[in-house]
Formats: sequence, structure tokens, C-alpha cells
Amino acid sequence: MPKDVLISVEHVSKKYCRSLKRSMLYGVYDVARDMFGLDGHNEQLRKTEFWAVNDVSFDVKRGECLGIIGPNGAGKSTLLKMLNGILLPDKGKIAIRGRVGALIELGAGFHPMLTGRENIYVNGAILGVRRKEMDRKFDDIVAFADLEDFIDSPVKFYSSGMYVRLGFAVSAHLNPDVLLIDEVLAVGDVAFRLKCFNHVRSLVESGSAIILVTHSQNDIARVCTRGIVLNHGKLLASESLAQAVRQYHELLQTLTKEARDQRDTPVRVKAVRTLDSQGMAARQFRSGEHVLVDIHYESKISVDDCVFVIKLASHELGEFVSFTNRVSGQKIPISVGSGSIIVRLRNVPLLGGNYIVQVHMYDEGTKTFWDQAVPACTFDIIEPDPEIWKEFHTLRIEHDWLINPRFSS
Amino acid sequence: MGPVPSSHEVEDLAFPSIPAALEVIYTPDSIRRQGWHVWGTIISEFLNSRELIWRLILRDVAARYRQSMFGYLWAVLPSIVTVIVFAVLTQSRTIPVAETSLPYVAYALWSISVWQLFAGCLSVCTNSLVSASSLVSKVNFPKEALVMAAIGHPLLDFIIRLVLVAFVFIWYGVPFKAQMIFVPFILLPAILLAIGLSFVLSIINLVLRDIGNILGMALTFGMFLAPVLYPPPTTWPSTLINILNPLSPLLIASQDVIAYGSLSQPQAFLFSCLFSVFVFLVGWRLFRLTIYRVSTYA
Repeated sequence: MPKDVLISVEHVSKKYCRSLKRSMLYGVYDVARDMFGLDGHNEQLRKTEFWAVNDVSFDVKRGECLGIIGPNGAGKSTLLKMLNGILLPDKGKIAIRGRVGALIELGAGFHPMLTGRENIYVNGAILGVRRKEMDRKFDDIVAFADLEDFIDSPVKFYSSGMYVRLGFAVSAHLNPDVLLIDEVLAVGDVAFRLKCFNHVRSLVESGSAIILVTHSQNDIARVCTRGIVLNHGKLLASESLAQAVRQYHELLQTLTKEARDQRDTPVRVKAVRTLDSQGMAARQFRSGEHVLVDIHYESKISVDDCVFVIKLASHELGEFVSFTNRVSGQKIPISVGSGSIIVRLRNVPLLGGNYIVQVHMYDEGTKTFWDQAVPACTFDIIEPDPEIWKEFHTLRIEHDWLINPRFSS
Repeated sequence: MGPVPSSHEVEDLAFPSIPAALEVIYTPDSIRRQGWHVWGTIISEFLNSRELIWRLILRDVAARYRQSMFGYLWAVLPSIVTVIVFAVLTQSRTIPVAETSLPYVAYALWSISVWQLFAGCLSVCTNSLVSASSLVSKVNFPKEALVMAAIGHPLLDFIIRLVLVAFVFIWYGVPFKAQMIFVPFILLPAILLAIGLSFVLSIINLVLRDIGNILGMALTFGMFLAPVLYPPPTTWPSTLINILNPLSPLLIASQDVIAYGSLSQPQAFLFSCLFSVFVFLVGWRLFRLTIYRVSTYA
């Protein structure tokens, strides 16, 4: 293993069982085999078993933050538990160098009857920190969690936010070489989340290797240097963070499309794509250009007044703008069969980044909701100098700088 | 100008290197395929987790009676009630009991204290993994510390009961002997036996929660299958009771040391000690072999 690789995962697989009854049976059987030192038959699948993580390989180096994205049940948390040594892989090999910290469940092991102070020491001991080191870090932890006034109250009186803050503060202050984070940054208020992200970023800069599991692209964009997509336990190959995010989007698109196709609805969004002002399919635009959203629909009925709602979402903000033909008062009739509607977004004032288009369709007359394509498609706004625009996002507001201005009152 | 450092050397300058001891490798076989030298790892891990065990004990003890009015009185109340009931029943000859080596109340109170120490350790340790399920399934640390630390509260309860026992001994005029300092060495195998059994039972309890119920039932019967509220039988086949319950030889040894200052069945006692240590070590090894597999069920 090269010196700067802290996490190395080679062809790792882990199986799970769908049925609880069977899993108990297998559990007792496997435990018995282990006890007598017999081979565990790890490699084959038994009835109702499946590969939750399937032949996954990757490396994480010092100073890297790897984001693992994927839909629910993709095997992300299982993978993280194997990296943390809570579960052993059924196949493959994991090598980890350095002190490992894990934010898998914050405040696991807090005893509700004990005070915050007592719990900090207990939690520290569970995570393998000596008392002396804990004494040194105690004040930092309390300050980070912002719990000075409550540190001697039992944690059962804490709000859930306070609980999580304390949990994060303890785990994050142990100077790990390798830090594994599972979704936990999604909780807490905005200020605390920001603090967490800054802390994670400073760990990356000081040479830790970090793995962040999430299904929020916002988190990925904020701290990660690299990204991989996990789906049904398998890794989709991706070279860059942007590519991983795009892959994840395509995955979500197909997943939601599959779900939509099973819904029985008379009117359906069939496909959505973006075009340039010449009407040619395009996915990349410059700020201020027109973006045409081409919506193909399919209908079994004819409707006089169909309402389209278009929403735009970004990784940083989620949905941030929406518009509809209902407000402009323009009626859109739909006839039986398939057809297409184009919405022209004029002089789109967006800054560089990847944007997600969502399309909703419903009938104004009967207030029937027909179909939604979330996400429908994505497009990029390209900035000539992406480095500068990294820190600034979403809207291009026309503005002027007035230096030492004087207005007569 | 010196030679330009390669990118690797630059890395080394920027970050301190990580000692080789901090490298771990997980494979499907990384636990199973360890031979005898596994005991070296086990012992060193145990030494490393001493502080954790101590912290967990403190945690349980501190939290135990915090929201309770009678507090530590709960350590003695159940024994007092049982002993009073049986004292009345035997005094009135409702339940005839042979002559005990100590005055009946002192005898029953001592025996029941020892039994409850064993039964308490066994049931608390067996449930230790289930009751800390979020820790077991979400945090990586030596999980045997949870099982071992669980003895803290039954042990503390026992020590509190000793105060009551001392008063009762004085009241009934039981003489204090120098040999009584050996009693802790008789109780140690009992605790090791309880932990050893719990190592295995706590694992199975994670997969099959029935174990907790079965154990509760077994412990109720177990008390009557040991010379706790009656003296050790002397005639066959009831002498089986002296060996049927693995705790009996240790219990009898403690009664003998207190009453006579010597052992009436030294072979049984010695065998029981060896058996306890054996169960403890085997249980520990089995625990480490299987904990990875069952943490999903927590």
C-alpha cells in the first residue's frame, strides 16, 4: 500500500438476508460454525440472501474527502460499518492506517441519566481515548458543542439537537487520521452544520482521509474532493466529483421514472431535455443564454387547461425557483396521444454550476395531479473562469459597487 | 540547488507518518484464522480497555440509583424480604430444614447474597449487549468490555449487602475468623463463571432474544437447586444438588470457610475453580470469534 493511502478497499462484498426468520437461523448456524472453527461458507448466497455490498474497490489518500452517494439501501452504511470494523466483509480485504474516528451514530452510548460532562468521558473511553487526553480536550469539546450552560445537566433533558451536537463534538475532536461520517451532518441547525463542515474541511487540510456517506448532493459539493456512486451494492465507475454527481442524478432519474411508469395516470411526462436557442439538444450553457426545456408528454385524454410547474434546483439550495403557466394565464391544451411543449427560459441569470429541472403536470379544472418528473433532467452553466466562481452560487444579480457614496437627503 | 524532492517526500514533510501498529486489515478470516497467539492480542486488548471497563462500571453505578428515592436500599431489600419469609416458614416448621452450619438467618442471608451476586452478574452480563444495542451495532470498540463492565452493579449491590450481613453476623454471634479473608478468592471463580457463561449467552441473546427469558427462569429454579435456603444435603441422591448447579461447590466452600474456617469438599471446590476459569477463557475466545457476525442483529 503506498504511503499516503490510508484506506484501501479491495473487492469487498457483504451479504444480507431479507427474511428475519431465516437470518436468525443463518445467524445461529454461522455462530455455531465459527465457534467450532469451521469455514463459514461466506462466498455463496443462501436462500433469501443478497449482496448488500458487491465487489467494491477504492482507495482514499491523505487529504482526500471521498463522498459516497447512492439511493436508499444502496449499501452505503454497510460499507461504512465494514470500514469501521464493526462488520467483517464476506469477501475481499480492507486495510486502514491510522487512528479511525467514526460518526456513524452520534451520541451512541450516552447514558440519559448521566450529565453531559460524565458522558463526554464515557464516550471518550468508548472511542479509545485516555482520561488525560480527554481532560485536555474537554473545554474545546464543550465550546464546540456550545453547551457550557448545560454540561452538568443529565443528557435526558437535552434537546435532540443538543444531543447530536455533543456527540459530534466528542467524536470530531479525537484528531482521527481516518474519519468515517454517515449522514450525521444532516441534523442540527444551519449554524452547527456550517461549523461541522468547516471542521471536516480543516481535518482534510491537515491530512486526514475522510469518507462521507450521504444522499445529499449539497454535502458532497461542499466538502468532498472525490465522489463515488453506489447502487445495489455495486460501485459505478466515476473519475471526478462532478461526474459522480451527474451519475447519481441519472440514477435518480431512472429510479423515479421506473416508479412513475408503474403509476396509472392518464397524462404522463415522457421525457424532458434541454435545447439551445437554435433548438438543438444541449446540456451546457453560458450564463445569460436562453435555455429551452423540451417536455414530451403522453396523454390518454384531452384537456383544455393543463398546468405545468417547472422548478429548478441546485446542489447548494435544493429547489430555489419555480414558475408556471397558471400565473401568466396562458392555457395549454393537450390532446390524446403524445406531444411536446417547449418552455423558453430567457437570459437565464444563473451562475456556474449544475442545475436540476423538475416538471409537474396537473389539471387546473379538476385539480387532479397527473405526473411529476423529479428530477427531469439536468444542465450545466459554464463559467469562463470556474476557479473564481467556485465559492459563489446560483443567481447572477446585476449590481454596481458605489465607493464612499453620498446621497443628498 | 539540491535535488528536487519527489512528490512522495513532499507528502512526508507535510504530514507526520503513521506507525505500522496503527494499520489494521479486515478480511473474512481475520478473526477465525488466529492460532494460539491470539491470547497475546486478547490480553493486550484487555489491558488497553481497562480504562473503558472502569468508565463503564462507573457509568452504570452512577446512573443506577439516580432517579430513585430508596437508592442503595434496593440492593438489600429483596434479600431481606426473602430471608424473612423463609425464616418464618422454617421456624414454624412449614418447611422443615435440617440444622445449618450457621444460625439460619445468617446462613440464608449469606447464601442468598452469594447467589444473587452470581445470578445478578449472569443476567446483567447476558443482557449487556442487547441493552447497549446502538453501541454494539454502530461503534467499534472492544465489546467484551460491555460484558465485563456489567458486573459493576451486581458487585456493588453485593458489597452493600455485606454491611447487612456483618450486622446480622454480629447479632447472631457468628464469630469472625481470620480465614474469612479468603472468601473473595472463593467468589472470584463464581464471577468468572458468570462472565464466561455470559460471553456466550449474550451473543446468542443478540440473535435470539429468548435467552433473556430462559435465563430468568433458569435462575429462579437454580436458586432452589443450590444449597441457598437449606444446608447441603448429605444423603444420595439429593447430594447431586451439591454438584448439579455449577455454583454449588463455590457456595458451599464459602459457607464452610465462614462457619468452620476450612473446606469440607476441597476436591469439588478445586474442580469448580478450574471449570470456572476454563469457561471464562473459552467464552472469551468464542465471544471474539462471533461478535462481528452478530452485531447486525443488535
